[in-house]
Amino acid sequence: MIVLSVESSCDETSVAISKDGKHVLSNVVLSQISLHQAFGGVVPEIASREHVKGITVVFEQAIKEAQLHVDDIDLIAVTKGPGLIGSLLVGINAAKAFAFAHHIPLIGVHHIAGHIYANQVNDEMVFPLVALVVSGGHTELILMKDHYQFEKLGETQDDAVGEAYDKIARILHLGYPGGPVIDQMAQTGNPTYPMPSINPTGTYDFSYSGLKSHVINTVNTHKMKKEPIQTHNMAASFQQAAVKHLIEQSKKAVTDTGANMFIVAGGVAANQSLRRAVFETFKDIKVTVPAFTYCTDNAAMIGIAGYYQYQQSKKHDDLSLNGASRMDLSSI
Amino acid sequence: MKTSLKRLVVDSATDWLYVGIFEGDKALITHYEQGKNNHSATLMPTVEKLFKEVNLDVIHIDELIVGIGPGSYTGVRIGVVVMKMFAWTLNKPLYTVSSLALLASSFTSNGLVMPSIDARRGNAFLGIYDKEGQQLTLRHAEKHMALKDALNDYPKAHHVTQGEPSLPVILHSNVLVKVDDVHLVAPVYLRQTEAERNLS
Ligand SMILES: [Zn+2]
Repeated sequence: MIVLSVESSCDETSVAISKDGKHVLSNVVLSQISLHQAFGGVVPEIASREHVKGITVVFEQAIKEAQLHVDDIDLIAVTKGPGLIGSLLVGINAAKAFAFAHHIPLIGVHHIAGHIYANQVNDEMVFPLVALVVSGGHTELILMKDHYQFEKLGETQDDAVGEAYDKIARILHLGYPGGPVIDQMAQTGNPTYPMPSINPTGTYDFSYSGLKSHVINTVNTHKMKKEPIQTHNMAASFQQAAVKHLIEQSKKAVTDTGANMFIVAGGVAANQSLRRAVFETFKDIKVTVPAFTYCTDNAAMIGIAGYYQYQQSKKHDDLSLNGASRMDLSSI
Repeated sequence: MKTSLKRLVVDSATDWLYVGIFEGDKALITHYEQGKNNHSATLMPTVEKLFKEVNLDVIHIDELIVGIGPGSYTGVRIGVVVMKMFAWTLNKPLYTVSSLALLASSFTSNGLVMPSIDARRGNAFLGIYDKEGQQLTLRHAEKHMALKDALNDYPKAHHVTQGEPSLPVILHSNVLVKVDDVHLVAPVYLRQTEAERNLS
């Protein structure tokens, strides 16, 4: 089964073609990141405008690179949410028009399901599995007992981990996006700054506001006393505490559920310290993290998830399919 | 044989959604309805329904015409993306037209017309057109300004904020723009985003 998939939930315009939920034939990603850097974050209206400009070009390139004909496509999968609503609507309406023009069935896919299924590209899922979803907008632990069955174990009670990275990068004047920069600096720094430990609550939830405030306060105090901050060491200290919290909650979830597999998904899955910690922690069960290309937003992951969604439900959406900025993974 | 061309016309730049299928300038079917900020959910089902009712497929269409604003209303992108996709994937000629010209075309008598699209906080996107029989002529460039000032500046113009477009008027006027590179089609926003304005 050949799936053409579309992803436009944030600032990446992407179209991919995949086969049988496994083989990625093309995965074209048009990133707007340089445009948003001047604003220190994604500007929704600019993102929507850029998606309109890029959408057909990306379709054309994806089909060309996959070296197939439109008639070969069996299913269109498109991200329906969560995400920036104006951005989502561009991809959704492009997908609907394409599906209608060529009489191809269409399905709307949950963005986080896509991130999770990015792990299926080079690997097979075994169940039950626990997925740690970490990105600019998400910090969640999901339990899957079978394909396309999502049970939310816990989530962040305040900031997403990626959000905390961005805010700390801003106060340290490291630019946007913060994750990759802090990760890179942390590799050559030492965790010399004491960080508060994040209290375990007995749940699978996360909290990053305390850690974030602590870093911001420390930086401000140093500024007032005119003492320089050792940026590499601050990055290393923050990253160590942030990763520790992710690992502790994940460990609890894996132990309690008796999971046979642990996977990491989302943009923060590219974080080097997190990747190392995950393989060091879970030695007795299967562990996967997506290849770097599939960590950040891309349409290939939506196509893989879409394939499994269609296999499980055998249902497709009609042309009234719409986007939503918020959407619960457990309810799909 | 220009009169036998089949045309699909879409405008979603205002809170009213317009879809029409034509043969020459004769309407086979049209739809003009006020939406609830939901063109994304309603445009494609409407397109599907209209094609079904006239027993045609979008592949049979010879020309596509889309309203491209001006405006900041999210809806404008919906129509533009759908028509851009049809034009590219079915390799059909695409024409853009000002959504204000479409509004002006709904005016049935002669004289000065001021079509306007709400831009919030008392502002509007508007233009001044002269309507003479089947012909529209743009008199003053379309712009973003306080509606009150525009009403003062052009007291004689008929103010039009809604009305079903007239394709015959559009075809008889010099308002259609042939698209050379479909990939480049985008709405006319007339204004930078707030973030860009704050930056400069
Ligand atoms: Zn994402």
